[in-house]
Amino acid sequence: MTAVALESERVTRAEQAVFLGNGNEAVARAIIDIGYDAEGYYPITPSSEVGELVSKAAGQGEADIAFIVGTSELAALSICAGAAVAGGRVVDVTSSQGLLLKAEQMPAIAGLGLPLVLNLATREVSAPLNIKNGHSDLYAALGWGWIILLAPTVQACYDLNIIAIRIAETVNLPVIVAYDGFHTSHANRRITVFKSQEDVRRFVGPPPFRAALEGRNGRFSLLDVAHPRTFGPYMNDDLINSKVQIDLKFQRARELLPRIFDEFEALTGRQYGVVETYGESNAERWLVALNTAGEAAKDAVDQLASGGTRVGLVIPTVLRPWPEAEISTALASAQRIVVAERASQYGASNFLANEIGATLQRAGNPAKIIQRTYGIGGLNFTLADALEMYALIMTGDADGPEPARRNGKGAPPPYVSTRLTAAGVIPSFAFAPEKSYHGAWPGDLDYAPAQSLVPLTVEQCTWNAEQDGRVNLKELSKMPTRFDKHTACPGCGIFTTLNLFLRGIDGHVVLLFHTGCGMVVTTGYPLTSFKVPYFHNLFHNGASTATGVVEMVKRFKARGELDDEMTVILVTGDGGDDIGMDQLIGAALRNDPFIVLEYDNKGYMNTGAQLCYSSLKGQVCSNAHLGPQQAGKRTHHKDIIEILRGTFAPYLATASESHALDMIRKARKAQATVRAGGFAFCKALSVCPLHWGLGEHVGPSAVEAAVNACMHPLFEVENGVTKITFDPGRAGKKIPVTQALSKMGRAFSHLAKPEYAALADEIQREVDRRWERLKVMAEHPLL
Amino acid sequence: MNGYRLLQKDDLGFCNILISALGGDGANMAAKLLFKIGCRDFGLDGGYDARYGSEKKGTATDVSVRFCELGTRVRQSGPTDRPHFLVVFHADLIEPLELYRGVQHGATCIVNTIRPPDEIREALRLASGRIVCIDATKIAHDTHSRINIPHLAVLCQALSFPEEQIKTQIARQWPQAAESNLAAFSGALSCAVTKTFEPDGRFGSTSPMVSRGPIGWRNMLNGGTIDALTHTTVGRDNRIASRGRVPHFNPEACNSCGLCLTVCSDPGGLLWREGRMTGIDTAFCKGCMRCIEICPTTKKGHALTLPAGTGE
Repeated sequence: MTAVALESERVTRAEQAVFLGNGNEAVARAIIDIGYDAEGYYPITPSSEVGELVSKAAGQGEADIAFIVGTSELAALSICAGAAVAGGRVVDVTSSQGLLLKAEQMPAIAGLGLPLVLNLATREVSAPLNIKNGHSDLYAALGWGWIILLAPTVQACYDLNIIAIRIAETVNLPVIVAYDGFHTSHANRRITVFKSQEDVRRFVGPPPFRAALEGRNGRFSLLDVAHPRTFGPYMNDDLINSKVQIDLKFQRARELLPRIFDEFEALTGRQYGVVETYGESNAERWLVALNTAGEAAKDAVDQLASGGTRVGLVIPTVLRPWPEAEISTALASAQRIVVAERASQYGASNFLANEIGATLQRAGNPAKIIQRTYGIGGLNFTLADALEMYALIMTGDADGPEPARRNGKGAPPPYVSTRLTAAGVIPSFAFAPEKSYHGAWPGDLDYAPAQSLVPLTVEQCTWNAEQDGRVNLKELSKMPTRFDKHTACPGCGIFTTLNLFLRGIDGHVVLLFHTGCGMVVTTGYPLTSFKVPYFHNLFHNGASTATGVVEMVKRFKARGELDDEMTVILVTGDGGDDIGMDQLIGAALRNDPFIVLEYDNKGYMNTGAQLCYSSLKGQVCSNAHLGPQQAGKRTHHKDIIEILRGTFAPYLATASESHALDMIRKARKAQATVRAGGFAFCKALSVCPLHWGLGEHVGPSAVEAAVNACMHPLFEVENGVTKITFDPGRAGKKIPVTQALSKMGRAFSHLAKPEYAALADEIQREVDRRWERLKVMAEHPLL
Repeated sequence: MNGYRLLQKDDLGFCNILISALGGDGANMAAKLLFKIGCRDFGLDGGYDARYGSEKKGTATDVSVRFCELGTRVRQSGPTDRPHFLVVFHADLIEPLELYRGVQHGATCIVNTIRPPDEIREALRLASGRIVCIDATKIAHDTHSRINIPHLAVLCQALSFPEEQIKTQIARQWPQAAESNLAAFSGALSCAVTKTFEPDGRFGSTSPMVSRGPIGWRNMLNGGTIDALTHTTVGRDNRIASRGRVPHFNPEACNSCGLCLTVCSDPGGLLWREGRMTGIDTAFCKGCMRCIEICPTTKKGHALTLPAGTGE
């Protein structure tokens, strides 16, 4: 263990400066101030911004950090693990689904004794999909061996990040810093930060690389070739001892944290404690709430106090190691406690309610705990909600039904009765005494809207049979759209592409979507754009999901239990084929009979234009900027067709709206492939006016230019035989890439400028090389 | 800056500003800048918060800035639901979004509209306060600025922020657009039509809470499933995104070639029947104008053209 000099008494105040920003910006500022060696990154709302800001600083030369974008959240954390075992100081950022996808790597990092900081902008977990605040992601990580710090404010986001890396490297345990998604991550506040990075770096200690290499800080480095060691062995009976060590580290952290908090206070004037208490310390009535809810409740405590009612409030700052003594002490005088949680442990009492109850039992404290689940999915928790929580335990009538939601002052609105009727009251749960939900509503049982959709029939949707290569747009105009209105940006390429493609697909269609713009703008509850069956599972597993679906279609058809013929189509952005690449390849290898339609808009647009592996080299992305140290994305674009070529799937194709007849022909071929029992994949170039920086009406000409520049060649690979379906050279339409890039919007147009001539030239050579290679393959049936 | 005092504050000491706009309007940027100006130039504290969904261009958003004196505890999260200042970028959203809810007595409401304050007062059910009407759309268009600048100008004036300081900050924030933005700023101040309404009993208070909807935990379908037979988006009105600007269709010049169908980003917005193009569904089309360029010249000209009043 490092010999840490805790010199609270002798530390002098470090100069601070005012900073205006949101939680994400505060975290990014801390990361930059601390000086990390590496960040593995994958975007997810609402935490994406942190990595974008760090990468921007790196590109500007303001931060010296290896910023690596992985193909998934798991990949990103795995990159971090590798950097940490090599002795680097590493940070990651995530939320929700991202944390769950990292689940395998999380306990491994703790088990390996790697200090690492993970920032968690809390967000509720699927399904159904919700991107707003919820603590289910945090709760999933409670037992993984990570120290957990909770930041209720933007200020704390900054401060606790600095404290986190200090404690992490002192005890060799990883640390999670959790702050509320949107409520804190996107809330701009006025905070104070260290004026000088040197002061931050003096507090956190020198980067651990040298010390790890020399074995001076209790951990070792993989890069020590003079003294080689094996990291991450296979263990049998010895394993339990390594777990004792984790808890020994937690014990050390438990002892050190208060002293580190004091040292931080001496340096900054900002005091943190293991738990924060507010209000009357001898109160009989208490509320326990985390993060923004706890913070908001302080106003309720003040308001009650000014009315003569004294209550107490506990807001934990350290959740792991569990603050047994502090919780016990804080609640010593409590008789009734509301434990409010932004999550629910389904089928059981809530997580913190259980932990607090157990702590109280050990202390011989018979106080009654009332459990409330609130705010799941981003519902705000305000002063008014806190007052309602306290109201539950004021009168001793906590066993009654939840009072109607009030607005702080005055009479409740006339359309909500003061006591919900018996029919509207959430029943009590035998498995969880005193547990209920705050802010849920029963709905209207008499609600019975009229039917507005007559389901599409096979007859209505048959316009491609026996047409061979003939495409008549007038005839195909009679194909009903399989989807209705949606809320995509005007000029979006996704639905142009989807509509065109589906005009080439006869009969019943079942659509599966990856998470992305396509599904977000079509299925906002309670409405759906889709007139056909539709399933959205997760961001990455559409291909596996589709396999499950088509296996059942096959099975029940064979048994005579399913008469209808249907074509299953997975619709995904290029992003979903990054994070889902392995599953896509798996489905292609299995040759499962469904179509994958990828709309390639060259970025993760739904989360804010972070780079996708299919983005172009030099393209400006929100995590690949133009700056002195960086000129946009560093690597050339992924070619998913070439990757899939290795699976020998029967039909692979590219298409674009600029060549509509070609796309429809390819859709027909894809359907024919599926009907014959095989896998088909089609990638279409799709514009994103918002993030390409393009006028809404320019899409068609931008796509056409890209095709003419051979940046998105139009071809198909049918049973391994390549055929080019549009040769711009032969058609006399080939243009240099710079001409296309200048038409594709602000994310690309800088590449047409003289200062980027060398980069543009490199892109031109790469595009030409791939095009020439494609032509050779088209000439030879064996390639 | 010393001496700036907030004239309106709630019980917690906050002056609440709520901005209702659409994605792409620049409301978030303007609000963040306002917060920065308040803190840096006027020594205030407070917060900027927004209600987030997965906003794309054209979907409704709520943004708020709450100001307080330095030293006030800033503890609440999320946008305000009890504004002293309500800024409405799109007056036709007042009714569908119930923007009149929770507005404080004596509030200032700044609305982008060509209608007079009396009409807006009715729409907002304002118990008492000030209505300021500006034609922000026209001002932004005429000055080549953005719709957020006129609103920001009037809001800053209503907050009694000194004009010159705001203009300096706007120019600094967006240097390339400084000239247009400053012209829009001045234009807004000179064109604003203001009327004060005393508490005359015409309207009472409205609560901030909106109704929750007919689907709840008693009747939601298993797993949150949506029944397409009854719940498609067929009833949605995309005029919110198109702002009423859709292509002009001349049936005489149309030969139903179908090329417009191949580029439409809101399929269904172009009305076809029995293989013939018949018109544009104004509640469906979002006015992206993709179809204009591809529409070929026929003997009778172009079937699809830009609507009147387009600058290009």
